[in-house]
Amino acid sequence: MFEFSFLFGQFLGGITAAMFLFLIASGLSLIFGVLRVLNFAHGSFYMIGAYLAWQFVHLIAPAPEGFWLAALAAAVSIALLGAIVERALLRHLYSREELYQLLFTYALVLILGDMAKIVWGTQQLSVSRPPSLAGSSEVFGVTIPHYNLFIMGLGPSIAVGAWYVLQHTPLGRIVRAAALDRETLGALGANVGWVYTGMFMAGSFLAGLGGALVTPIKSIVPGMDVEIIVEAFIVVVIGGLGSFWGTFLGALIYGQVLSFGILIFPRFSIFAVSVLMAAILIIRPWGLFGRPLK
Amino acid sequence: MKRVMLAVIGLAALLVPAHSRAQQPIKVGYPMILSGPGALFGEPALKGAQMYVEEINGKGGVLGRKLELITRDTKGNADEAVRVSRELILKDNVDFLVGTLTSAEGPAVSTIAKENKIVFIAPIPKTDQLTAPANLHPYVFRTASNTTIEGRTAAEIVAKWPVKKIATIAPDYAYGQDVAKAFVEHIKKLKPEVEIVDQQWPKLGEADYTPFINAQMGKKPEAVFSALWGGHFLTFAKQAKPLKYFDSINYNFIAGGEGASIESTRAMGADYPVGIWGNAYDAFNWDGAPPAHKDYIARISAYTKQDPPSSWPVTGYVGMQMLVEAIKKANSVDSEKVAKALLDLTIDTPIGKQTMSGKDHQANRGQVWGKTVIDPKYPFAIMKDILYIDPTPFMN
Amino acid sequence: MKRVPWTLIVFAAGLLVPLLGSRFYTFVATDIVILSLFAMSLNLLLGYTGLVSFGHAAYFGIGAYTCALLMKHANAPFVPSLIAAGLMAAAAALLFGFFCVRLTRIYFAMLTLAFAQIVWAICFKWNDVTGGEQGLPNVPYPGLDWMGSVPVLGGFRVADHFYLCALSVVALCFAGLRRIVDAPFGRVLTVIRDNAERAQFIGVNVRAYQLAAFVLAGFFAGISGGLFGIFNRGVFPDFAFWTKSAEPLIMTILGGMGSFWGPAVGAAAFIVLNQQITSYTEYWPLTMGTVLIVLLFVFPGGIAGTLLGLLERGRVRAGRGGTAAGAAPMVKRNA
Repeated sequence: MFEFSFLFGQFLGGITAAMFLFLIASGLSLIFGVLRVLNFAHGSFYMIGAYLAWQFVHLIAPAPEGFWLAALAAAVSIALLGAIVERALLRHLYSREELYQLLFTYALVLILGDMAKIVWGTQQLSVSRPPSLAGSSEVFGVTIPHYNLFIMGLGPSIAVGAWYVLQHTPLGRIVRAAALDRETLGALGANVGWVYTGMFMAGSFLAGLGGALVTPIKSIVPGMDVEIIVEAFIVVVIGGLGSFWGTFLGALIYGQVLSFGILIFPRFSIFAVSVLMAAILIIRPWGLFGRPLK
Repeated sequence: MKRVMLAVIGLAALLVPAHSRAQQPIKVGYPMILSGPGALFGEPALKGAQMYVEEINGKGGVLGRKLELITRDTKGNADEAVRVSRELILKDNVDFLVGTLTSAEGPAVSTIAKENKIVFIAPIPKTDQLTAPANLHPYVFRTASNTTIEGRTAAEIVAKWPVKKIATIAPDYAYGQDVAKAFVEHIKKLKPEVEIVDQQWPKLGEADYTPFINAQMGKKPEAVFSALWGGHFLTFAKQAKPLKYFDSINYNFIAGGEGASIESTRAMGADYPVGIWGNAYDAFNWDGAPPAHKDYIARISAYTKQDPPSSWPVTGYVGMQMLVEAIKKANSVDSEKVAKALLDLTIDTPIGKQTMSGKDHQANRGQVWGKTVIDPKYPFAIMKDILYIDPTPFMN
Repeated sequence: MKRVPWTLIVFAAGLLVPLLGSRFYTFVATDIVILSLFAMSLNLLLGYTGLVSFGHAAYFGIGAYTCALLMKHANAPFVPSLIAAGLMAAAAALLFGFFCVRLTRIYFAMLTLAFAQIVWAICFKWNDVTGGEQGLPNVPYPGLDWMGSVPVLGGFRVADHFYLCALSVVALCFAGLRRIVDAPFGRVLTVIRDNAERAQFIGVNVRAYQLAAFVLAGFFAGISGGLFGIFNRGVFPDFAFWTKSAEPLIMTILGGMGSFWGPAVGAAAFIVLNQQITSYTEYWPLTMGTVLIVLLFVFPGGIAGTLLGLLERGRVRAGRGGTAAGAAPMVKRNA
């Protein structure tokens, strides 16, 4: 019915869509895994990361590969923003209901969205692909832009990197312990407060990096924060809250369901993510790799 | 001493405004999206209305009274648009409403205008529903184009291309569905041998279009009509270009939803898929425009400190102009009389003569269409040989 | 302790609003009355059962569409349409709730969100029935012409008549909610909220009770949605969007989820705040967000919670003791 190259292209399209979402969802998953905070403002960090990348690219316009420096600078700035938010405000809410933390991050969405509008206005902005990845190649009759290849490689690299740090380094052990039992770790002398700050910064860094790295394939517009956040949440939930690999797998499944779903039901796109999540949570209440919350 | 006297008189005048109603400004409520994704169009549309009001007030106002524009953010929600419109009427006592942007906000506010018997002019919403017979009432008017006009105009252009296999891509909601339907129906009528080989329906705000682009290329269309607007079109084009999507259809692509507006081409610069066709509400380099257009472009450029200026302010400008000309004709600010004056009113706007149809309260508002080219004078693509297709023949 | 009949007192005070003669006050009061029912319905889950629903707008939206469709297209009378709105929302809540109550905490919240997004997507896309993105404008007012022949009421406008009608419906619902939370059923809900495991242990079918609370909350949200659709003169997919679900949460936190009247107080505060801020500045999100953060940090118990706390302190000082009426403040389940 379909040619192989077409199906292969559709498969790759699904992978791109998946890794695109994973870039944003990974930081969300990291923060939830340790801090148990569902951060609505993650979408805002992502958006400001994109705006900052545009700003930095324009400050260093003459450099041909300036994009990479700009993306890194944007991600670091967002990590610092995350540190300020966590140290100054969020940590005072850890002892309170989850709902308070949710509403706090929702208030941040309002504030950060308006700040972006004040600084960058309402006009759409765009960043070009860096010249080194502007081309494309043909594989099995399918055109693959090099930048998409880069995104496809970046997702798994982030996943493997985070896994290595968490599982095989002393720092990772402290972080995992903090996620499991905060009080005992504190009693053992570790500075749990700073572990939390560090994790929030790492998650924010990923949000900023995600925002910066999507600018070559996505326009920067007001409202891009709210547009993405629910889908990112859902991918994290599908995988199982707090499970990094689960989020990765959740994104991959979402990408393929979307990509092949639209071949059968052309008007399916709007339902894809919610239906997938409802289906998975009904079958596996704690997501793919998740465990029941205590 | 004399100055003190004047001040006292001035203060007294402020304190007894009831006696001098003629001195009070004519209040116009302007509900518009000023935050979130729609602010992209709402902000410049507000600028156009503001400039018009300043210009009129500079010339002494209307009927000897100044105009006052009272703006509220609708947040892009129909229920919030209803709430602020009622607040404008009940608390701020506005005489008229001009505004709204989305196809949900327009009809929602229209209900409120009907309830309060206040003239409401919609400068941007394109949905046919707004002025469809079932929803029409004496107080609602539209200076925007509509989905039928937009889809059929695109079909007129594509029918002249040497292509038979045609596809569409449009956001999966009322606007996208209506405009795609108008396009498909009209092109089949104009050129019966045309075959619609594929229709893609990404959701509004889709993050990644790659699967849709790939699926469409798989059906091997020769030409494509798109109704993705604003940032969505930009994202789509940025992802489609390196996939060689535009090459595969020889750039036989026509972007409705203002895909060739200067906002899009300027933002994308060299990344824009130059060579495609598209439309816009206005173009600074529109040579065939009426003489007043050049002057308008210079004024709006100075007012918004942007050169070349945005294509959206003209929507707010013409909406306000239509209202003011009707007030002049009626010689009254009574909504009943102004609504009557609007019927079959023809005014001279920067984009030419606009007539408010007495039958369906829709102005003959077309859009400009053209093929995008690179002009060495500008760092972004511009429309060449701009066409303004008079919508009158397709308005029914 | 003798109970003050607050529902009656507030209802009687509400009746006086149209006498002020301002169309604007009636408009704001209608908004408050209807949305306070929305917030109160959510608090049955949040404050009494300890379930954080992130998709309560789904039931509000279903109620709004049901009532509007019946009144606009089937010319059905107001009362049956409104009851149908509540029942449809309750039916949806039963279906979705069956799956949701099997999950806890954040998973529960996320599944309610997913179902709400599905409802939103259906409203957004089903053009033939829901009108798609454009919704259903032009929802008719109920036929309240009989009020015109009643002395005093005769002088009022249509909007005033509808306000009185909404006020009566909401007062009835409040009385119903009061009965529910005071009944043994309501007591069991608070036991589940405080410690679901213990409740299970003493033989309570926790899921069944949670589901019942979910369905009741859906019913009242549906009634509130039905009224809001008429008040708004149109229903739109936004009614079921996730940002709409955040509103009653904010109202409840603002007012205080620890007391019966908290959400209603919060709804009033939220509406007045939103109205004031949006009419003074285009930068309302910045202002609103800042206000929210200050509230979260300075008044963790909400307005009603803070007032009750002050009252309590006064009583303790006066040596009388006793507990405040309604639900006890939530315990920290997170610590």
